Amino acid sequence: MGNDSPTNSRHVATYCYQCVAGPDLLTVKVEDEVATQVEPNFAAEKVHPASGKVCVKAYGLIQKTYNPHRVKTPMKRTNPNKGKDQDPGFVAISWDEALDTIADRMKKIREDGLRDESGYPRLAASFGGGGTPTSYMGTFPAFLGAWGPTDMGFGSGQGVKCYHSEHLYGELWHRAFTVCPDTPLSEYIISFGANVEASGGVCGVKRHADARIRGAKRVQVEPHLSITGACSEEWVPIKPKTDAAFLFAMIHILLHEHPREKLDLEFIKHRTTSPYLIGNFGFFMRDPESRKPLVWDANTNKAVAFDTPGIDPVLESAFLVEKAVEEDADGKVWEHFDQRCFSSFEKLVAKFKQYTPLWASEICGVPAETIRRITIEYLQHARVGETIEIEGRVLPLRPVAIMLGKTVNNGWGGFDCCWARTMLACLIGGLEVPGGTLGTTVRLNRPANSRQASVISTRDGIMDYPMNPTDEENWVSRPEVRNANRTLVPLVANSPWSQALGPTHIAWMMQDQTPQNWPKPTMPALWFVYRTNPVISFWDTDSIAKTISRFPFTVCFSYTHDETNHMADILLPECTDLEGLQLMRIGGTKYVEQFWKHQGFALRQPVVKAPEGTRDMSWIATELARRTDLLEAYNKAINRGAAGVSLSGENFDFNLDETKAHSVEEIWDASCKAASAELTNGEETQGLDYFREHGYRMTPMSQLDWYLYPSLEDQNIRFELPYQERLHRHGKELANRLHSRGISWWDHQLEEYDPLPEWKDYPGIWEQALEKNFKIDINDFPFWLLTSRSMQYAWGGNADIQMIREVSRNIGGHGGVVMNSGKAAEMGIQDGDLVEISSPLASTQGMAILRQGIRPDTLLMIGQFGHWATPLAKTFNAPSINKLVPMLLDLTDSSGSSSDLVKVSVKHIRTPS
Amino acid sequence: MTRWALVADLRACVGCQTCTASCKQTNATAPDVQWRRVLDFETGSFPDVGRVFVPVGCMHCEQPPCMEVCPSTATGQRDDGIITIDYDLCIGCAYCAVACPYQARYKITKPPLAYGKDGKMRVEEYCEDPARFGVAQKCTFCLDRIDSGLATGLTPGIDPAATPACVNSCISGALHFGDRNDPDSNVSALLRENHHFGMHEEMATGPGIFYLWEKAHDKPDSDINPQKLASRGVGGVGGAAPWLQQHWDWRVTANFIGGGTGTGLMAAAAIASLFGATVMPFAVFALVFVLAGLAMVLTELGRPFRSMNVIFHPQTSWMSREALLAGPLCIAMVAAAWFDISLLALLAGLIGLGFLYCQARMLHGGKGIPIWRENMSVSLIVSTGLVEGTGAMVLISASMGAGVLGAMLVLILVRAWIWHSYRHNLAGNAPDRSIAVLGQYSTAFTVIGTILPFVLVIGGLMLPEISHILYPLAGLGALLSGWLLKYVMINRAAYTQGYAIEHSPERSAGSGGGAGAAPGWNGAI
Repeated sequence: MGNDSPTNSRHVATYCYQCVAGPDLLTVKVEDEVATQVEPNFAAEKVHPASGKVCVKAYGLIQKTYNPHRVKTPMKRTNPNKGKDQDPGFVAISWDEALDTIADRMKKIREDGLRDESGYPRLAASFGGGGTPTSYMGTFPAFLGAWGPTDMGFGSGQGVKCYHSEHLYGELWHRAFTVCPDTPLSEYIISFGANVEASGGVCGVKRHADARIRGAKRVQVEPHLSITGACSEEWVPIKPKTDAAFLFAMIHILLHEHPREKLDLEFIKHRTTSPYLIGNFGFFMRDPESRKPLVWDANTNKAVAFDTPGIDPVLESAFLVEKAVEEDADGKVWEHFDQRCFSSFEKLVAKFKQYTPLWASEICGVPAETIRRITIEYLQHARVGETIEIEGRVLPLRPVAIMLGKTVNNGWGGFDCCWARTMLACLIGGLEVPGGTLGTTVRLNRPANSRQASVISTRDGIMDYPMNPTDEENWVSRPEVRNANRTLVPLVANSPWSQALGPTHIAWMMQDQTPQNWPKPTMPALWFVYRTNPVISFWDTDSIAKTISRFPFTVCFSYTHDETNHMADILLPECTDLEGLQLMRIGGTKYVEQFWKHQGFALRQPVVKAPEGTRDMSWIATELARRTDLLEAYNKAINRGAAGVSLSGENFDFNLDETKAHSVEEIWDASCKAASAELTNGEETQGLDYFREHGYRMTPMSQLDWYLYPSLEDQNIRFELPYQERLHRHGKELANRLHSRGISWWDHQLEEYDPLPEWKDYPGIWEQALEKNFKIDINDFPFWLLTSRSMQYAWGGNADIQMIREVSRNIGGHGGVVMNSGKAAEMGIQDGDLVEISSPLASTQGMAILRQGIRPDTLLMIGQFGHWATPLAKTFNAPSINKLVPMLLDLTDSSGSSSDLVKVSVKHIRTPS
Repeated sequence: MTRWALVADLRACVGCQTCTASCKQTNATAPDVQWRRVLDFETGSFPDVGRVFVPVGCMHCEQPPCMEVCPSTATGQRDDGIITIDYDLCIGCAYCAVACPYQARYKITKPPLAYGKDGKMRVEEYCEDPARFGVAQKCTFCLDRIDSGLATGLTPGIDPAATPACVNSCISGALHFGDRNDPDSNVSALLRENHHFGMHEEMATGPGIFYLWEKAHDKPDSDINPQKLASRGVGGVGGAAPWLQQHWDWRVTANFIGGGTGTGLMAAAAIASLFGATVMPFAVFALVFVLAGLAMVLTELGRPFRSMNVIFHPQTSWMSREALLAGPLCIAMVAAAWFDISLLALLAGLIGLGFLYCQARMLHGGKGIPIWRENMSVSLIVSTGLVEGTGAMVLISASMGAGVLGAMLVLILVRAWIWHSYRHNLAGNAPDRSIAVLGQYSTAFTVIGTILPFVLVIGGLMLPEISHILYPLAGLGALLSGWLLKYVMINRAAYTQGYAIEHSPERSAGSGGGAGAAPGWNGAI
């Protein structure tokens, strides 16, 4: 070190939420006012599940702070022409000029109307990284809240880069926007492409490492040997996009190759809708008066309402129901008398008879015996019948779980995989119980901070869900935003997250093509972009770039020059991670493996002084509110809790004066006081100074809150499985609504509203879509191209950090296209050769990286690269899958997502000298 | 006595590189200098493939090859086992770097910047340490943290403030640090409870990083991992496979060429002088060769102004010994040339042979390069020096008698036999690429260095009228082939040891570990 004895050395506590698997706590060593090192926050060892540690990405924040490529002053575009080939001609301007220019535009928008002639918001905003930008944008959400309708549906990765099916169906079935095993108790995990060691954050990595050393076994089912596959006991190289077949065969094995007693019959009978009887029209048979679903009671030998006390529901037999009704779509009711019918469970058993291991083996490329052995191991480790006491409450112990990764649980087949995984948990009684399959957060249900509080029973004895209406009266017939989330996807609900979970690519696609009988596509009059770079991170990135270049006015909060802000009109440089001030909620149960035994708040605070020309996001938000005459509404939003904590409560009131503009410190001081009060029931009200010194404040949380089962048991509620009666009805109603308006282009998606899933040729869907849309022979594209996250880069937006680039290269696969060594040898390709990868959409070139750990029919490109404007990253010449994957309606499932995989060809270009 | 050790649990490591990043910041290392890093191994072949992440760095060996070869005594070993480098003593010869079989040492001559010409970051400016330029550097086990922690009553490995940064940062719990000699320490417990290995244990360096791979169990030893080493030779990525050494460039080769040819020539001249030949001009040529070689190597030193430190370690360093002989050698050669006396020539020749032997042993001391550490490299370097010397003599003096020609041919034959034996010995004992490169050059070497001189000499005997052309050409062949040999051995085929694991870890306690791997190697070490 230059200075052996720094005169001024201190550690500053802050948090890192660069990836969805956070937030985590850290400290930064500051010597003579220079941030020199990131270190764990050892003080948090007792409260943080990963002992106060952060992953490699956090260490990149030092270079992020001092990166010479930073934008350090507001800038405006001088070249009116936009495009990849156009020099934006950015010139420095003052903050006043930048903010006034934006405010004038916004005021004009308010004059013209917040929505345009098509009914779409004139203001749009895109944020990246699975919601993580919220932890950095200060009070900007309060500004948007004050503004009114904002289109946040222009995706930058959502749907194709996320666990989309899990987000939607997980929330429906067990309040599980994200799903994870109860790893600390788990004994056996089957992971279909989930890459927890790369993307599960420090909590995931630590817990799984502990589990391995404890003796837990994990089987990784995935076409390539990922980091997670490496750390698993067994790797099963399955054919891409055939996971549903494997899972269906597992259900078959449990139902048809094992006696029923091996399953958790009590759970199936009482905690699922398995005994509910199904009528001829595919809906529950209901009591004609109460309209409650009927089950067959073994005690009285008749059909009774599911919640009749003291009954013993029968799972299997043919039942003759004296009198019942079925509630079809749109209020249509069918009456039945002496109707013979079957239970949901029987429907399941019958349907899955066809899905034998032998059948699956041909689809998956995995021997039937392997599928059978893994299923038996799953069953054996489930310990059906055993219990565990957690904080005085006896709960079932089922230490097995099935995890699904990206590409498995989004796009076509995603629903099937999510359903099958959840069903497999139900069959052994392992859903939301210790050791089993858990949800860790809610994003669509409310309240946002408690999964348990959202557990409210419907008349049908299942959990209520904020489904978007599909009945004629309430259906959102005119899309509220350009991706039409509430119109097309009932499951996407209507929370602040719902727009980002709609079919976000449709917002882009419809800029070029208006579907039949649909509002005219319009561009947003002003588009805010924060911590995202959709020109790199979405799919069909070339067309995204072209679309963005047509947007009339784009404002990018910019750290460095990048591919999206290349098309911007104004660049606003914000204080970065180690320079801004913000309080956020931590702990409790959050994304992925973030379930703690504590919950509370942490402060992100300036570790070092920000460059002169940059500004804190909360300052920017306040200034925009002031200059657009929205200050009062903005302050109200903050007081309400739009910045993360409500400033008043039962025993406290730190509300801001709504008429004044407040400094950044005033806002967060009030937030800190409110947070302290919230955690102590108003007893303590420490402010910003306390949080600056300590970094965080926590309060213990019951481990019982990790599990949803107690809430269901207490209220006698059932998991809505196996039969999807509710979704089936919504699907039919949605079809009626769309068809009545002459819309048939969503029909393929409507087929997915089957009450029980049915295998479709999912790889074939991709192949046929490519053949149909590109008029190609799919045999000319013999490889599947996949992508995978890496811990060094995932969600980080850190491609321009040299240190991250340097250390990531220690791990094989970065920067090229990974290919099976044997297959490469057949094709005369050597390690390091330049190859061209072509999809029907586009071509890219990159270095061949030869590995044994990948199927011969599969290629892999790690991360998201292909930069052409971002400093440093543009020198990588790393190929990216994103350029090669086409955006097609045919590849969009009913939830509005797709998977980032595509068929490609490989051509040898040259061997480097 | 305390013996600090790092325990890396291969079962836990996920290759995230958090330790790498943390080390880089804590020690302010320059871009591409990684005192700690994690390698990515593959074992087996599709579909039975494994993948293992292996933290590496300075092993703080009990018998450190780096310290043995260090000519300046800059590399030292503390009582607690930590291997240190005194940046003020180090001359930047990088001998330690090529002697380290773990490729743990770095040398940078100027501070490369993370963003190059785009600007020096404030943090780079603040943390820059000029004392590290041009000298060897490597992991210190964060000894400043250990020492300051101990001074305040903290326990390294337990208290973060006294623990290496890599261990503190490790998110999976794979890295542990502690006193191996304390039976109650954390690391001693881990080593008792688990099976472990050290990297390249066969080299008897006593590495201080211990790799846990499997929970200890009651199985008899014969049952423990029956596949041990069975699959050596599978592919490797992420820097695990041997790479061509970059520490000694052509300037070092020039020293081996100058020294070998010069001393070989001096020895030949000395012998010839016994038969009445003049010492001049051979001693002058010999002197020029030796001095040119030394001058070249001087420019390669990171700290040439401290080059005299090279003589500080004659106890074990063959580089020190070579340096100590350089002065007497030059004086003796000057004297032999000046006085043209056979006795002085013999003295110079003898010292020269000593110098040549030192050079040969010096190369052999580069334990991190398998083709150097092969024992026959010593006789190969000595024999080729003598071949080059006689070849140079033949080249310089076209009228040489049959004795020199004959000696040259005999030496060529000896060298050819040694070359054959050397390559034979290397089979299975050197990285695949080393063997392949030596094989590629072998034909040229044999044709130029063995067949051609014989053909030309025989041609000269049969066609005496052009023997004055053919003999020098034969000498030239002998000479150039030796230079080619050294160039190939040092700059083309000198692949590092690379990394190897004896076992891959079990991925579920009780399941047992699997086969190891030595990427880039085909045979057993």
